[in-house]
Amino acid sequence: MELSPALRTRGLSRRGFLRATAALGAAGLVGGCTASAAPPGATTVSIWSWLTGMDKYVAAFNAAQKDVFVELRVIAAGLSGGYAQQTNAIRAHNAPDVLHVEYQGLPQILLTGGLRDLTADMADLESQYSPAAWRGVRPDGRTWGVPMDLAPMVFYYRKDLFDQHGIALPRTWDEFRTAAAAVKQVDPQARICSFPLNDGSFFAGMSWQAGDPWWTAQGDTWAVDIAGEGTLRTASYWQSMIKDDQVAGVVHGTQDWIAGIHDGKLWGLLGASWSVGTLNRSIPKDTGRWAVATMPTWEGKPANGIQGGTAFGISAESKAPEAAMTFLRWLSTNPEVPKIGSTFTTPFPAHLPNRAVARQAYKGGYFLGDPVYDVLDEAAKRVPDWTWGPNALRLFSTISDSFGPVRSGGTTLPDAVRKVQQHAVADMRARGLSVREGKTA
Amino acid sequence: MSVLAPERAPAQEQPSVETSTGTRRKDFAGAVLAVPFAVLLVGTVLVPVAYTLYLSLFTERLRGLGFSGPEHVFVWLGNYLKVIADSAFHASLGNVALFALIHIPSMLIGALVLALLLDSAVVRLKQVWSLAVFVPYAVPVVIGGLIWAYLYSPTIGPIKNLLGVDPLSDTALLPSIANIATWQWVGYNMIIFYTALQAVPKEIVEAARADGAGGLRTAWSIKIPVIRPTIFVAAVFTVIGSLQVFTEPMVLKSFTGTVTSTWSPSMYVYEAAFVAGDNGRAAAASVLIAVICAVLSAVVMRFSTRRSAR
Repeated sequence: MELSPALRTRGLSRRGFLRATAALGAAGLVGGCTASAAPPGATTVSIWSWLTGMDKYVAAFNAAQKDVFVELRVIAAGLSGGYAQQTNAIRAHNAPDVLHVEYQGLPQILLTGGLRDLTADMADLESQYSPAAWRGVRPDGRTWGVPMDLAPMVFYYRKDLFDQHGIALPRTWDEFRTAAAAVKQVDPQARICSFPLNDGSFFAGMSWQAGDPWWTAQGDTWAVDIAGEGTLRTASYWQSMIKDDQVAGVVHGTQDWIAGIHDGKLWGLLGASWSVGTLNRSIPKDTGRWAVATMPTWEGKPANGIQGGTAFGISAESKAPEAAMTFLRWLSTNPEVPKIGSTFTTPFPAHLPNRAVARQAYKGGYFLGDPVYDVLDEAAKRVPDWTWGPNALRLFSTISDSFGPVRSGGTTLPDAVRKVQQHAVADMRARGLSVREGKTA
Repeated sequence: MSVLAPERAPAQEQPSVETSTGTRRKDFAGAVLAVPFAVLLVGTVLVPVAYTLYLSLFTERLRGLGFSGPEHVFVWLGNYLKVIADSAFHASLGNVALFALIHIPSMLIGALVLALLLDSAVVRLKQVWSLAVFVPYAVPVVIGGLIWAYLYSPTIGPIKNLLGVDPLSDTALLPSIANIATWQWVGYNMIIFYTALQAVPKEIVEAARADGAGGLRTAWSIKIPVIRPTIFVAAVFTVIGSLQVFTEPMVLKSFTGTVTSTWSPSMYVYEAAFVAGDNGRAAAASVLIAVICAVLSAVVMRFSTRRSAR
């Protein structure tokens, strides 16, 4: 089945959604191999990935050198089948050399014991990566992946409408509440943004900002703190916004949502870096209306969450780990890659020198106000510490299941968050993991 | 729900004039001809079933942070007990029970009424009508689900304005899902019933008419009793189909938060296998669903034979 929040972490356009849906049932069969054959003497490296444009990167790499030949197989995205396929391949001892892992899915893949420890191979690259991405591939202090990109969350808003009605850009969540009321006063049908309740990775990103990580690896034990102070503050705030009918509830990326932003009924979007692409695709004619800003903050303390981001791991059973590493280093750090990426998307590389390349290649014009890459850069710098737990992907479903009755008043967000914490702890303990509740020892 | 076996003809007496060698050769030919079927049966049904049973007895046990990898542990019926005690599994069974309560009667009665109308002389343009009702069955379930999801969407779809109720809210969700399934299957079952009605002996119908029975009376007292076995077979398939409902809620799930990830038993299995990565629990839940299907089918069939025998 192709419908899952994971899709949204790469930005769910209508077409992408339909395409994904049409592929239903064929999850394991999707994709083909790159056409050309390996040059004589080259080491072949197989990779499974669902990253948009990976075929172009692989083709460029194969054309650029003769020692390593990469064979790509496109698989279904994340929770739509990609993780299941990779996990099962590891169990069956026929995993490809390179596996696609998102930061949020990395610890879950690690539970299979199927990834190679890359600590030594990657040590020299630490200073070149965005710290948030570097931490993302090191959940327990060992390096398990090569970061590709990351997706800091930012606030997109209709600058034209905000300016026209004299509404100031909210810099704190208190100001955000005032701005939301002002938007509703101008147009009773309009809302400042939507707060979708069926997207666990979105809520995680919003909670991330509050600075209380949901998981921390402490020695041999997971400290699980989903109902921590910061998350509960986030939950209470949005509970009151929902209760007062200050935010819409439509799911980002659906037709309802596109209609809302198209008709001026949604004046903003709590999005991530990939939302640039979502907006460009969903409302291509809205050039010169939208602007990007860093997220409003809690009491002016600069902080910012992340929603999504890709890294790649190497199979523990790979017969060609050096060749795989050669390819991944190229993919992650070669300036050709963001240049290619900029032709069909708005890449936000985890590798800092490559991010500068992407910034130069970016064709502006869509957004008003501060340059997009400046805002994203600033947002990426403000990301607090965070570790994804080994049950993060499953937790996203638990979140969306528990938040379902919030809008009709069946429960409140803080109560639901407490329930999610109980679920997570019980689930992790049932699997034999060592778990401690609450923040730190 | 997609295959409906034709009614079995009464067994013919075999003329036993074969010589013994002839019989042997025939047996051999029969065995050869049965090979493709046997291979497919073993490869695609029996082996997977056996493997599911095997998987359902194991679980992966982790230690510490879990990064040292899992250990396979034989847990006897532990996975089954886990599923049976899981409130999410109970909720999913409750959902499909309510779904079946709405879907089965509305679909069977709808299909029967349409088939009887087609069969009676009342309706003109029979083929146009039957095609119109049958077309939804030809639409792939995902596409049908998407079409309805757009119609249900509160701001762009017309249904909220027409009914005054948000079809994707938690109160209206169940009828909304049942509506998609009914829309999809009513035409299919109508064709089944209509075909069965063609086999009702004309003499009985004419005799009834000669005795003064009107159209309604003929339908109620003659036609329906004659095709009752067909109706029960359709009921069995609908019961099984209801228990296995998956695609409709899965499609709606990305439009609304009111569909949980374990809304139906099939979604529970999907979540366990492909989201939680817990193959043992997924296998155990699948086996339990198969058992429940078998029991329910047996109950419906028992009910049907008792009614037919009366």
